[in-house]
Amino acid sequence: MELDFLATVLLSSLSSASILLIATLGLAVVYGLMGVINLAHGEFLMVGAYSALTATQIGLPFFLAVPFAVAMTMLIGAIVELLIIKWLYGRIFDTMLATWGLGMVFNQGAVLLFGTVSPGIGMPQWNFKIGDFSLAVYPIAMIGVAAVMLIFVYFLMTKTVYGMKARASIQQPEMARAIGIDSARVNTLTFAIGCGLAGFAGAILVPIIPATPSMGLFFAVKGFLAVVVAGPVAVTGTAMTALGLGGGASVTASFMTSVIGDVFFFLITALLLWLYPKGISTKWRRKL
Amino acid sequence: MKNLFGALSVTTALALTTTVAMAEVKVGAIFDLTGGLNIYGIQQRNALDLAIADVNAAGGVNGEEVVVVGYDAQSELSKYTQFAQTAVLRDGISAMFAGLTSSSREAIRPIFREANIPYFYASLYEGGACDRQTFVTGSSASQQLSVLMDWAVKNYGPRVYIMAPDYNFGTISGHWIHEYAERNGAEVVGEDYLALSVTDYAPTIQKIQAANPDVVVALPVGAAQTGFLEQFAAAGLKDSIGVVSTNYGSGNQQVVVSPQAGEGLISAMGYFPSVESEANTAFKAAWEAEYGTDTPIVAGAVDVWNAVQLWAAAANQAGSTDTDAVIAALESGLSFEAPNGTVTLEPGSHHLRQDIYIARGNATNGFDIVETFADSAPSYENEMCNLIENPDLAEHFTPEG
Amino acid sequence: MFEKLHKSSGLVFPILATIAALAVSGSLDPYLAFVATSWIIFGLLGLSLDVIWGRVGLLSLAQTAFYGLGGYFGAVIAINMAPSFGMTLVWALPAAAVFGAITAAALGYIIFYSRMGALQSTILSYTFTLLLWSVTQTFKLDVGAATIGGDNGLSNIPGIILGFGAEASKLKPNGAFATVVAVSAAVYFFTYWLMRSNFGKIVDCIRIDIEKTELLGYDIRKIQVLNFAYSGAIAGIAGALFALWANYLNPSIFSVQEALMIPIYVLVGGLGTLAGPFLGAIVIGALSFWLGGGAAGGQTTLILGTILILLVLFLKNGFLGALNNLWMRYLPDPNEAARNAGAVKIDTEVLDSILTEATAQAGPAKNLITDEVFKQFGGVIPVNKVSRNFTPGKPYSLIGPNGAGKSSFLKTCVGIYRPEGGKILLGDDDITKAAIFDRVNKGMGVKNQKPQVFGDNTVLENLWIAAYARTKNGDAADVIAGRILGMLGMDGQRAVQASALSHGQQQWLDIGMVLCLAPRVVLLDEPAAGMTNEETRELSLLVRTLAKHTTVVVVEHDMEFVRTLEGHVTVLHQGKLFAEGNIETLRASDAVLDIYLGRGKHV
Repeated sequence: MELDFLATVLLSSLSSASILLIATLGLAVVYGLMGVINLAHGEFLMVGAYSALTATQIGLPFFLAVPFAVAMTMLIGAIVELLIIKWLYGRIFDTMLATWGLGMVFNQGAVLLFGTVSPGIGMPQWNFKIGDFSLAVYPIAMIGVAAVMLIFVYFLMTKTVYGMKARASIQQPEMARAIGIDSARVNTLTFAIGCGLAGFAGAILVPIIPATPSMGLFFAVKGFLAVVVAGPVAVTGTAMTALGLGGGASVTASFMTSVIGDVFFFLITALLLWLYPKGISTKWRRKL
Repeated sequence: MKNLFGALSVTTALALTTTVAMAEVKVGAIFDLTGGLNIYGIQQRNALDLAIADVNAAGGVNGEEVVVVGYDAQSELSKYTQFAQTAVLRDGISAMFAGLTSSSREAIRPIFREANIPYFYASLYEGGACDRQTFVTGSSASQQLSVLMDWAVKNYGPRVYIMAPDYNFGTISGHWIHEYAERNGAEVVGEDYLALSVTDYAPTIQKIQAANPDVVVALPVGAAQTGFLEQFAAAGLKDSIGVVSTNYGSGNQQVVVSPQAGEGLISAMGYFPSVESEANTAFKAAWEAEYGTDTPIVAGAVDVWNAVQLWAAAANQAGSTDTDAVIAALESGLSFEAPNGTVTLEPGSHHLRQDIYIARGNATNGFDIVETFADSAPSYENEMCNLIENPDLAEHFTPEG
Repeated sequence: MFEKLHKSSGLVFPILATIAALAVSGSLDPYLAFVATSWIIFGLLGLSLDVIWGRVGLLSLAQTAFYGLGGYFGAVIAINMAPSFGMTLVWALPAAAVFGAITAAALGYIIFYSRMGALQSTILSYTFTLLLWSVTQTFKLDVGAATIGGDNGLSNIPGIILGFGAEASKLKPNGAFATVVAVSAAVYFFTYWLMRSNFGKIVDCIRIDIEKTELLGYDIRKIQVLNFAYSGAIAGIAGALFALWANYLNPSIFSVQEALMIPIYVLVGGLGTLAGPFLGAIVIGALSFWLGGGAAGGQTTLILGTILILLVLFLKNGFLGALNNLWMRYLPDPNEAARNAGAVKIDTEVLDSILTEATAQAGPAKNLITDEVFKQFGGVIPVNKVSRNFTPGKPYSLIGPNGAGKSSFLKTCVGIYRPEGGKILLGDDDITKAAIFDRVNKGMGVKNQKPQVFGDNTVLENLWIAAYARTKNGDAADVIAGRILGMLGMDGQRAVQASALSHGQQQWLDIGMVLCLAPRVVLLDEPAAGMTNEETRELSLLVRTLAKHTTVVVVEHDMEFVRTLEGHVTVLHQGKLFAEGNIETLRASDAVLDIYLGRGKHV
């Protein structure tokens, strides 16, 4: 087997893993930190994608459309938290049901607002070669984006005052309030940030995964698996699982078929859960 | 937006006129108006409503007004079964127009067989359905691919790569691609069948490059799989490798795909909005008046239009909506000028002989027709299924045996 | 009067509903009978989820997997057997139930025997369904007359045929509806009976407090797997009925959307109510059927989604759950007795006779021997090579400053922690690697620091479930529970929910439950915590009496209490044995004072 094929496979598998991580990081924050199962996470991705699309259609360049998408999803996320999620903390299954309903509403709402197909944002036509193989630059650039996103979230949650307040409010909301932290407001912000991360993902991935009303469902599957297998150390853990499961599935798909790649993803998930019944990061000493 | 209001107003109008008219004929419609498949479903339903209005404007069926009893299957199979039986048991329909995927067709086909009601399946598919009550106006894979492979090998070269979804439509299309490629002296140098949930196309693109083909036959399912086309183009591969398809455009994927990626992609289907004919001009005018110009018309919509027109013609020819009479009329070699050219219902196989158009994606998210293959017969279906000789056949034939 | 109705509402109303459904089945519009049949089937599938989710606490997303597998399996057999023998129910249902049960048992083995976390278990079950979905898209197999055609599915499944022989024809929609109602009702009532039986009572305890249930000696893993297998059987039956209804099966039955609908049915109806899933399935089914027929301009999913959100916000625990809460407001409060309770008073004579009897039945008291037991967490070593032999006669007290490792030592003996080194013996048995319930069955009784009682159950039920763990006989358990209840002087609170008791009363109940086990070795972790002076005196009496018949080890902080025990005292410090003796000598020892006050060279 040629070296250039191997190099191409490894590089694009890393890119696939990065794309999975980008899509899943918001979920890691919302579930891993807040214990909220947001089944509408995929739909927030969709909202981000459509926001970016709308922004470019009214004339904004792409690099401004992305922050616009983040702002939109954070706003909508905050509203959702205030209206729905905040009444359901601790009621994990009720949150599931409510967010599933929300997902349906968003989905159909998108169809009503945007129709079933919308013009996408094309991928920049840049490419480079490794040996005989040509790779598009944009997906590979997602590796960098994922790394930056990861570092950003990690620092936000561990090194800023907000991050400390957020972790306090989640772990001990009453105690946090007793020492002067407005945990309700902080929780709203944390949920909004989780949705904003989803919106960012949807927007930045639009050239790769075009915006369609039902696009959210693709991430509902693998994203949840990655976050739950990751375990208590949500952010770093999810980075590992996205890399291992997503990257591994991509490599498998490159040498065999995509169905076998999917099967790989699911089988390894099952195996990891069996070996690490509470997630792979159960014994880790990291903070996040 | 407009489509739904349009549908609502047409239905309301029909409902209102019903109370005034004396006798009426009911037809059923079950399409996916919500859920993931609504890209196709909404257009199919719009086409049906438009066609029924057209039939009624021309005097209805045997002087009676046609009324639609419509359902939204919500992209769920069990709903198809529920609504199909409801239409039969409660609504007293004389004909049914329903289904998008093969599984939705297979779920309800036996219901209409048992109830002896004509059932029209109007969507492109992998081919092979054979049942006395079932009539197919969508094109079959062999019908499209026989024509496409000839053209592709001639225009691009003899090395073919297949990228298809990993379920019956994809795998059976793959079979036909092999057969027709060989017939043209070409070789399939590789194939990749993708899970329906895939968003990661890098593995496929690498495998394509490793195989070094002249042309890729790509069958993306739904608007989501256009990601493949974007990545393919961004990697600069479109310059050296051609891309042809039998379902690209069936769900308006060309709207989603960027002009850089879409330009030059080849699709072979039974209909494109740019087909030039009197019938199509009239059809498009009626459509745009009712539903606006936001979304291009997909082939599936025209398939439904054709189905309705054929049924109405058969019922008028038979002088009644009694099923056996209608089937006899349908099996008499009906033909008419459809928006996509002359179409003829094959008596034996109940499939449609129709023109297949080869179109090239242009720089404005549309298609330009480059070649027309007139009167392409559904040869596999004609070969396997002769319901005049064997009216008891009720099967879904698949070539792999 | 209404109280009795409320207690048996799970029986009375479903009976009425079944009778009503059967009564109208003949006169229903055929199309409605047909469509409603599918709602009942989805309700049955929802029941299968409620059995494992509402009762055991595991949100399984594999129910549609068992449903689909059971459906395919039963359908294949029906296709092959029906043409000659008719009676499709006989062919399809048992086969589907068995296949569903076996699959669920296998999956359950992985989940429960590896003691997975709740969410991880859910995701594993979800992964199983996803795997099935991926693989069945292209799975093609011919089994006799049945052709499984991958995504094109399995066609030509016969309908519900009740007659025998080749000439029997399938039932019309009304007959099919009645049959499905009958089958579902039968399954429901059997489930209702099962969940009220002794097995069901244990399952309920697992849901309320799984650790406590294991501490009573129940093999929780086995019970969870059995329950899961049963839920798989129900799902399989539902799948077979669905196959016979739709006459067609397809891999979309394993899809994500299908899998997520079932929890919705259960939640809308009411989690844990067993009848709720049927209500939920009918409500959602009817709603989406009506909306799909064109009502509300076809915005089916929009309306459905909004209704779900509103439902969750305003109805706690679904329709039946909310109804139940409402009803209970008008019923007399069973927990009133709790407020009028006096202090607990131990009847030592009764206790003595209970303990003597226990020795007669369960054998003599056992020693607890630890040999160089060693436990480490990263850099922290809470149990550092502790060797000790605990014998019956007088209570042993373990004391030491905070962080000495007293609780950790106890937890290692119990099995909550597994030691990295050393041995633990209970009598003659080496229990170092034994599971917690194993140790309990061999005669270990444990009372943790916080009172562990089954809050939703009454005081008597709590004692009963502990007694049942040992006797495995409901009547014998009744007797023992009654005697312990009397011994504790809590007769007046027998019908009070444990969660309504005061902290001290819960501690007593916890101790009572331990006594019901007739343990040969008793480990108590700070039993006097939160007790009043009076209660502490009673407790001391109980512990001394207990120590005469069994080995007793008490971890304590309260020095006065330790003094009243008049037993051996061991001091632990930084995980090691530091000093031995009686409370007087230790109190005078400089070394011990040093470590308690944190001064000098011993720290």
